[in-house]
Amino acid sequence: MNRLPLGWRIATNVAAMAVLAFLIAPILAIIPASFNKASFIRLPPAAWSTLWYGRFINDPEWLRALWNSLQLASLATLIAVPVGTLAALGLARSRAAGRLFCSALFIAPMVVPIIVVSVAIYRSALDVSMNGTLLALSLSHAVLALPFVVISVGISLHAVNPAWSLAAAGLGAGPWRIFRTITLPHVMPGMVGGAVFSFMTSFDEAVLTIFLADYSTTTLPVKLWETVRLEFTPVLAVAAVVMTGLSVALFVLVQIVIRQTGDKA
Amino acid sequence: MSKTLGLPLKLQALTKRYGAVTALEPTDLEIGAGEFLTLLGPSGSGKTTLLNLVAGYTGPSGGTITIGTRDVTHVAARHRNIGMVFQSYALFPHMTVAQNLAYGLEARKLPKAEIAMRVESALALVQLEGYGGRRIQHMSGGQQQRVAVARALVIEPDVLLMDEPLGALDRQLRRQVQLELRRLHLKHGRTTIYVTHDQEEALVLSDRIAVMANGRVQQLGTSMELYARPTNSFIAGFVGESNLLEALVTEVSDGTARADIPALSCGVTAPAIAGVACRRPAQLAIRPEHLKLATGTAEGITGTISEMTHLGGFTQFGVTLPSGAVLISRQVERGDLAPGINVRLSWEPAHALIVPAENI
Repeated sequence: MNRLPLGWRIATNVAAMAVLAFLIAPILAIIPASFNKASFIRLPPAAWSTLWYGRFINDPEWLRALWNSLQLASLATLIAVPVGTLAALGLARSRAAGRLFCSALFIAPMVVPIIVVSVAIYRSALDVSMNGTLLALSLSHAVLALPFVVISVGISLHAVNPAWSLAAAGLGAGPWRIFRTITLPHVMPGMVGGAVFSFMTSFDEAVLTIFLADYSTTTLPVKLWETVRLEFTPVLAVAAVVMTGLSVALFVLVQIVIRQTGDKA
Repeated sequence: MSKTLGLPLKLQALTKRYGAVTALEPTDLEIGAGEFLTLLGPSGSGKTTLLNLVAGYTGPSGGTITIGTRDVTHVAARHRNIGMVFQSYALFPHMTVAQNLAYGLEARKLPKAEIAMRVESALALVQLEGYGGRRIQHMSGGQQQRVAVARALVIEPDVLLMDEPLGALDRQLRRQVQLELRRLHLKHGRTTIYVTHDQEEALVLSDRIAVMANGRVQQLGTSMELYARPTNSFIAGFVGESNLLEALVTEVSDGTARADIPALSCGVTAPAIAGVACRRPAQLAIRPEHLKLATGTAEGITGTISEMTHLGGFTQFGVTLPSGAVLISRQVERGDLAPGINVRLSWEPAHALIVPAENI
């Protein structure tokens, strides 16, 4: 083993810590901020209290925003995962010259600036009078989430040997049985990964939602943004903690699921 | 496993073209029920194309495929009842050995009890009793090969296809598995088409061999026929080895031809294969084991030993002729020959053959 001198080791460790702290400290700061007793955010809090958590839970507007966000993220995921999976399958199987062009189209929502997508979808939604509807929001969030599913399922498809499908067909299996028994088990991790990213993408989406949502379909991030312009109470920090907590919980849950399916294999 | 024979297979004018490229020239082939036929040829000879056409993985550009009395030319692969063993085995890695074997039976919607019974007997057939619960990646290469064969056989196919199934095994194991496959074939007696580029494998396994090159069957026959009566110089060089020398045919009569051989600076009379004619390209073929070397005689063609390789049991000599041509001769071990020694070359007249030249 090549070991650095002690001085260097300490120096590199300290540097690494500093970078990590820089990345995470501002995020972690919302946690003490949410326990302020005062009606404005102060760090560290002069007096501790769960007062603002009570305010959050008892405010129907915050609760509706949270409910909207969860509903929207679930719907967007339910749309993006099957569509993205089919797209990835089609792209993997097509030999056509248009294949590169098509995959570029599917990835486009990730590359095109979100503000451009927002303006475009806003304008189009006006034409069909769908502004402010949950359907329009779910569809447009699904568009943003689609690239994650296409990429993640596409990567897991690399592990599928085309000869398996031929072998299965030779053994008498039809296309549906082949998909169910051969392809699906191999793309499942990709689909789960894509679903998590879809959910996250929709759950913390603010820009497009500001354009598209109306009073009744406001989501948690948009409610945060609207509130911060009017007041700077610790309820903002509470909402931020709720969002972060849900995101981290989802991430950990998926890691556990993947670990367990991995052990079985 | 039951002792049912497979069905006969008949190809008529079967053709495959990819744009301007012809992968398989119109081919007629008849394989008897229970026969083991090998398609032997270099890569790009069309043998795998032919196999994929029979399996139904690609559609033909023309011609028909008949299994038994059923025309399956336009029948989907999954309805052909054909067993296929892939070079890569294509075993399903996310299933156990038993699940792999059961796959084709489940697709046929057989009752669970029968599936379990047939999987067990298929495992026994390839001597893998007790391995049913193993994962594929925990099996060795040789064991995976046997699983692949068992998976193809357990569905009781009318025809069994094997695409270079021993290609991934090391030499020693390959020898052992060849004999194993032969034993299996004698036991289950299914019509089999076996693809390989290894002539030794073809000789060990096959009832008949179809030698393929350039998208067509060059010759079809038993290994003895191919060895004794190659129809052209490609076969003579590909099945067993041959010294091939350009022959200028001057006279053909009654299965014998007379030809000048520039490399030998003399004329030769030898049995001729159909197709040999005056002023058509032809070659003289002599097997290395039929080329005799002698010292202390004035009979025969002069040459000098330029190479000597011991191959265990026999020695291979390279003999350079005055014309510059090098002939290969195989002799059992003998002490009187060494590089640099002048020798006289000869052969029994019946052991030389004049064959039409076929450049491949």
